[in-house]
Amino acid sequence: MTKLFITAIAIACSSLSSLAQTTDEIVAKHIEAIGGKDNWSKIKSMRTEGIIKAQGAEIKITNTQIDKKANRTDIEVMGMKGYSILTKTEGWNFMPFQGQTKPEPITADELKMGQDELNIQDEFLTYTVLGKKIENLGKDEVDGTECFKIKLIDKEGIESTYFIDQSNYFTIKEINKVKVNGQEMENTTTYSNYKKTDTGVFIAMSIGSDYGDLEISKIDINPNIDESIFKLAK
Amino acid sequence: MKTKILLASVIYSSLCYSQSPVNAAMFGTMEARNLGPGTMSGRITAIEGVNSDEGKTIYIGTAGGGVWKSKNAGASYKPLFDKYCQSIGALAIDQKNPSIVYVGTGESNMRNSVSIGNGMYKTKDGGDNWKYIGLDSTEHISRIIVNPDNTDIIYAAVPGALWSNSKHRGLYKSTNGGETWEKILYTDDQTGCAEILMDSKNSNILYASMWQFRRQPYSFNSGGKGSGLYKSIDAGKTWKELKTGLPDKPFGRIAMTLAPSEPNKMWAIVESNKTGLYISEDGGETWKSQSATLNVTARPFYFSTIVVDPKDSKRVYRPAFNFAYSNDGGFSFTEASYGGGWVHSDMHALWINPTNTNVMYVGTDGGIYTSIDKGITWQFNHCLPVGQFYHVAADEKEPYNVYGGLQDNGSWMAQSSGPGGVNNAHWQNVGGGDGFWTVPDADGKVVYSEYQGGNMSRVSIQTKKSESIQPKKTSKEDKLRWNWNTPIVTGANNPKNLYVGAQYLYKSTDQGRNWKRISNDLTTNDKKKQEQEESGGLSADNTSAENHCTIFTIAESPLDETQIWVGTDDGNLQVSTDGGNSWTNVSANVTKCGIATQAWVSSIEPSHFDKNTVYATFENHMYGDHKTYLAKSSDLGKTWVKLSNKEFISFAHKIIEDPINKNLLFLGTEMGLFATLDGGTTWFKIKNKIPEFALVRDLKIHPKTHDLIVGTHGRGIFILDDIRPIRNLTKEIWDQDVYLFPTPDITLNNGKYGWGGPEVSGGWQAGNPDFTPTINYYLKQRLASGKATIEIYDANGLMLQSMTAGIRKGINKVSWNLRGTPPKVAAGSAKMDGAGFTAPMVLPGLYTVKLKLNDKEYTSTINCIHDKENVDLTEADRKMVYVHATKLKTLFENVNHLIDSVSYYKLTLKTDSIDFNKNKTKKVFYSDLEKIRSELMSTKKTSIFADEERLREKVSSLYSTFCYMESKPNSTQLEAIEVLENDYKKQEEIYKALMIKNKKTIVKP
Repeated sequence: MTKLFITAIAIACSSLSSLAQTTDEIVAKHIEAIGGKDNWSKIKSMRTEGIIKAQGAEIKITNTQIDKKANRTDIEVMGMKGYSILTKTEGWNFMPFQGQTKPEPITADELKMGQDELNIQDEFLTYTVLGKKIENLGKDEVDGTECFKIKLIDKEGIESTYFIDQSNYFTIKEINKVKVNGQEMENTTTYSNYKKTDTGVFIAMSIGSDYGDLEISKIDINPNIDESIFKLAK
Repeated sequence: MKTKILLASVIYSSLCYSQSPVNAAMFGTMEARNLGPGTMSGRITAIEGVNSDEGKTIYIGTAGGGVWKSKNAGASYKPLFDKYCQSIGALAIDQKNPSIVYVGTGESNMRNSVSIGNGMYKTKDGGDNWKYIGLDSTEHISRIIVNPDNTDIIYAAVPGALWSNSKHRGLYKSTNGGETWEKILYTDDQTGCAEILMDSKNSNILYASMWQFRRQPYSFNSGGKGSGLYKSIDAGKTWKELKTGLPDKPFGRIAMTLAPSEPNKMWAIVESNKTGLYISEDGGETWKSQSATLNVTARPFYFSTIVVDPKDSKRVYRPAFNFAYSNDGGFSFTEASYGGGWVHSDMHALWINPTNTNVMYVGTDGGIYTSIDKGITWQFNHCLPVGQFYHVAADEKEPYNVYGGLQDNGSWMAQSSGPGGVNNAHWQNVGGGDGFWTVPDADGKVVYSEYQGGNMSRVSIQTKKSESIQPKKTSKEDKLRWNWNTPIVTGANNPKNLYVGAQYLYKSTDQGRNWKRISNDLTTNDKKKQEQEESGGLSADNTSAENHCTIFTIAESPLDETQIWVGTDDGNLQVSTDGGNSWTNVSANVTKCGIATQAWVSSIEPSHFDKNTVYATFENHMYGDHKTYLAKSSDLGKTWVKLSNKEFISFAHKIIEDPINKNLLFLGTEMGLFATLDGGTTWFKIKNKIPEFALVRDLKIHPKTHDLIVGTHGRGIFILDDIRPIRNLTKEIWDQDVYLFPTPDITLNNGKYGWGGPEVSGGWQAGNPDFTPTINYYLKQRLASGKATIEIYDANGLMLQSMTAGIRKGINKVSWNLRGTPPKVAAGSAKMDGAGFTAPMVLPGLYTVKLKLNDKEYTSTINCIHDKENVDLTEADRKMVYVHATKLKTLFENVNHLIDSVSYYKLTLKTDSIDFNKNKTKKVFYSDLEKIRSELMSTKKTSIFADEERLREKVSSLYSTFCYMESKPNSTQLEAIEVLENDYKKQEEIYKALMIKNKKTIVKP
């Protein structure tokens, strides 16, 4: 009985002590850690370039984004080029690697669920404006690192859970749960190697997912972007 | 109260943190494979579905495998409770907000092997996150109901502790969603609440059945003056006992239900001296006895489920020993057909989809079945791996097989790896009944298996024919007493020795054909503990489960076959150092170190390093004592030291010592697996994708593959492949910031197995171990900034490959595919070219590994060796393959280079020539270039399904063949290289000629 009681206490302990730091405090420290609200608010567009290594081969990835407007990812493998485009009103995928011969529009569901991708800002800078609910889920461990676990739920019910390293307040893992075309999908992304950019914001240069580890080699903040890239080539 | 808990927890946490720096997270990259199986599952205790989801979302509670969720009506399941107690008694969904689910831990099918719980949990997000919400000392929770009118009101029926008196039982109510609880119905410290019902039309009307019960290690009693049936009409404020028409008391367990469509109609199966079915039509005020078959009334302590169709009060279901249904309101019952195949007996849970009452799910001792015809026929869900193993074993074949016996699901074996991984189809049945010890003989042809009460057989692995080998009583022995879970053990020193134990120890050296009794009665032989024929209480129940004063564990020293240890279920620990001629009982010495006298000796581990050293676990939960008892003796049992740790929270089943690192021990307990790297001073929990509260019953370390094989009672078998990173993590290493482990020699091949075909559908699938040893390194802390890279260099210092590497705290693993950098592929095709992802496999030799962490570099070497077991490939053949693969790589690169050149000039002709459209020469040149290009690569193809093979595709195909070749190339394969080289040369010449011809037209790069 005593042991059971102690177990229960230990369980209780993990949830009680974790709430010692309020959600607002964690969010505030996180924003400070990634460069502060002011610096982030100056970012209107961004272009990142990187590679994923696969069996010794390299896959080139370029992401181009205009805040709250459009997002395009270009993928190049063995000279084959594919892309995905997302705007407020439409989205396209062209993945010749998968046998696609022409760009295909994304479904209405995918468009709705993908809108968060247009947000260039860190999630914790915009969640109140976007009307997302925040939940403090206490602490959890990611690969041996103690993290704050915070969930954001948007108006569509999409849940994103963030694991914030308690030693430096950087997000090191994110789990997104989306319901698309009748299926619930869960995507896990990890972040590491945060680098301070010229503009003062910190960006993760290593991004891991089930599809490979993306190593970012170049970041352009507020570059000039030809907006025609977000439209299908005629 | 909260302050107290907080304070206690802070102290507790600080104790935890003052211990060894080694913890589970350090080994997080080593993920165990769950072998399943899904072929035979385990006991299901609760099923609840979301009413508003067309029956697609279902939650399953299991006896020892936690909570699972299906979002597709049982096509697949996902475990939700891997961080919490695995024994589940009850589930309830808040149907108004179905993301809210309550879990009551501690199964309440009160059989001898039932586990215990640690309270109630709640999720608000469909099971992603759980919060502990109290009732921590209740041990067993049988039912939870949520008031549909006000879903903050919850009731929990708590039978409470099985093995001891306890006040933490009865009916509990919460009015704030589980934040606080009030006990609203209580009889005494031996009587709990077994069932709670709510009137479907008036949530103030409740019915509760109270149950007095108790187990002892050697007997069971169901029934007593505390049992009774009660009704409240004021939401539990006051209660009255219902008696009219019911049999005379005492009662045992009462299973009951009401018809949701007509809640005054009630059914109760009342255990008593006249156990029977009783029906009420006035809300329980009066009852009438109704004749019923044995299936309806049998084993009330174990079969406590009766359910009425949500829409049809005439349709009554009684899942029990078999599945029975009634069409006439319970006056007669019919048993389900076997039209959909055999259905496992022993049923404990039923959920009927209220929106389509033809569809239902039944939970049995062997998993979940689905019916779409109101329970007449059933289909098994093959994807729920919650088997309840008692023991595991392994042979030394390649790949090795694992063996184990399961609660109510027989004895089985399966290969540990193979083409395509391990799936349900690999499991072979080698024994029936309740399975326990399943032990392969060293001859590789025979396995010993048993069913309850020591009914053991020698089974041929090939034919599965079995011969009974159980020793029988002769005139020289008392009646033999066999434990329910009788030990069958082969010698750790001499594997030809086969031991089995009743109260005496028997030994055979001819596979059980002849036995020699090598001891007298080694138990306490306490006659008061041998009255099993009286067991059961109101319903006799003597199934050998309570057999007592028996031998429970046997161990031969790995260093000396004459040293034999025996542990009994009544506290005796005996040792012989002369092969069983004489025995010394050391149990009094054990007691002196603080271990309960009568505790079961659950395992004994004589050391691999020192004949005088032995470890043993003891467990006393059947006397209500859940302490973790683990002890070590270094003087052959004369004195003992108790090994303990603050993280241990439940009783111990198994201790094993690593055969290589004497400081590495593994401990399996009822709530979790632990390890120590300092001989037992400090311990850490093993997680590694093994549920943190897994009921770990047995452990083995494979001598050849270094795998840790974990037998759990509720989650099947796990294999933690190659534990050498744990074994090799010494203090000298964990004190360093970074340590690059030496990589074991790597045998050069494409893995042990070929492609095993597509994944099987609807079953359980365990993968294979890494096909080749990984490069492992240790980081004391997560790399806060920067990145980690592993680079491989050949003997000439040429970098073969650069790989992104992990940055996590603890052990990181990187897998090198034993190849260099693939060739570049020219653009312009409509299809990916596999050659762009492969390179020739390296030759035997030493390779350098560089771990780069920002500006720091750590170096080690890998010795790649030729695969001598491959008779199709000599070392000379390997070189030949390598040379030709490299030649093809060059050819492939040349072809692609030429394609690039052609494409370049094509492009520039168009883009840099203003007059292109009018210039005939340029247009002809362009068209000639395209002709070459169309010979070099496929250009017309527009889809992956429209194949067009040109030179590049041909080279690519042959190149890939050589890259993965593991036999001497055949003559046509070698000739084909020449043909392709000539084809290339031809095109190259045509190209050169064309360039000379058009030299004036060429736009210089």
